[in-house]
Amino acid sequence: MLKNAILTLLSLAIAIGLGGYSVWYALNAQDGVGAIRIGQWTAFPEVGTLAADPYSKARVAREGVLALGQAEGLAFVAERDDAGEPLKRECTYTIEGGYPTARFWTLYAADQSLGVIDTGKPRQSALQSYDMLRRPDNSVVISVGSRPAPGNWLLTGGSGKMYFVLTFYDTPIASSTGLSDVTLPRILKAGCNA
Amino acid sequence: MRKLLHAMILGLLGAGIVHIVVLFLVPEFSERDAWSRLAMASDLYKMTRLDAEAGGAPVVKSVDPLFYAAACRFDLTDGLVRIRAPGDVPFWSASVYDRNGHNIYSFNDHNANGEKLDAVVLTPAQMIDVRRDLPEDLQGAIFVEAPIEEGIFVVRAFVPDESWKPIVSRFLEQSACELQDY
Repeated sequence: MLKNAILTLLSLAIAIGLGGYSVWYALNAQDGVGAIRIGQWTAFPEVGTLAADPYSKARVAREGVLALGQAEGLAFVAERDDAGEPLKRECTYTIEGGYPTARFWTLYAADQSLGVIDTGKPRQSALQSYDMLRRPDNSVVISVGSRPAPGNWLLTGGSGKMYFVLTFYDTPIASSTGLSDVTLPRILKAGCNA
Repeated sequence: MRKLLHAMILGLLGAGIVHIVVLFLVPEFSERDAWSRLAMASDLYKMTRLDAEAGGAPVVKSVDPLFYAAACRFDLTDGLVRIRAPGDVPFWSASVYDRNGHNIYSFNDHNANGEKLDAVVLTPAQMIDVRRDLPEDLQGAIFVEAPIEEGIFVVRAFVPDESWKPIVSRFLEQSACELQDY
């Protein structure tokens, strides 16, 4: 009798514990269902729409996100450089290449919660395409680091994990058909202050 | 031993069921979703700044640092809601969300008449009523037909650099979100 009770208790404990934990784990993972990967950049075009999968719906509800609509824009997040190493705030990077069609784009360095990182300086850790110096072939080279750099410079600072968030506004790539032949800039590590 | 194995398999099956149930219940019971956060910050039909610039922590997260945003909650069972904002900014975009934070409809300044933000959100039933006799001053507005009752309207405006901050702030502060008689 007691043995049966303990076995029932065990089943219940496994069911509730594992079930709850697996949901929590799935909702915290950065990767998810419905992600589109281009190089190291990941976007979730369907997040926050009625067509989204149950996981993104739960994530939206839990984090209070108000996702960009299709006519507004599409955000890409990168957490690794082109060599596959996680991005670090103490390292310097070069982001270079061309950008897909959009009215404009913004790029910022973000922390774990995808908010802009606080450098403690008046200069924001964000850039936008109207302020870019371009090369003759219209591509853009951006230096990322805590020390000023010639050309386009994105200020970062501190230490720890870092993400780049690249958002295109008023862009045809936000509709699913446009995403097939899009190329995004590459993220190259230039060095680290160990 | 067989009984223990039986109990563990049963537990794993149960875990699958619990996983699915919890997943679908999260949106229903979340108290941290955008609607709840906005409800804590302000009333219905009141434009509230979402970015941290207006003081305090940002109400809703994941706003582009080069953007300012404002939102108001509305309830279409009270009537139509009209959102207007005066002035010129480099770029604005707007979205209508339902109670659970799903994006129902979005548009930007290139979709609008004269690049002015003037939008009316209404249910399909109200749309039929309004169409019958369209008031003069609603002629230029964008009509957003949304099959929802409660919802959130968000306006985002681009701040290209420091010098645009006061202009964009004024654009959002002067924006109005009001019940419309017809």
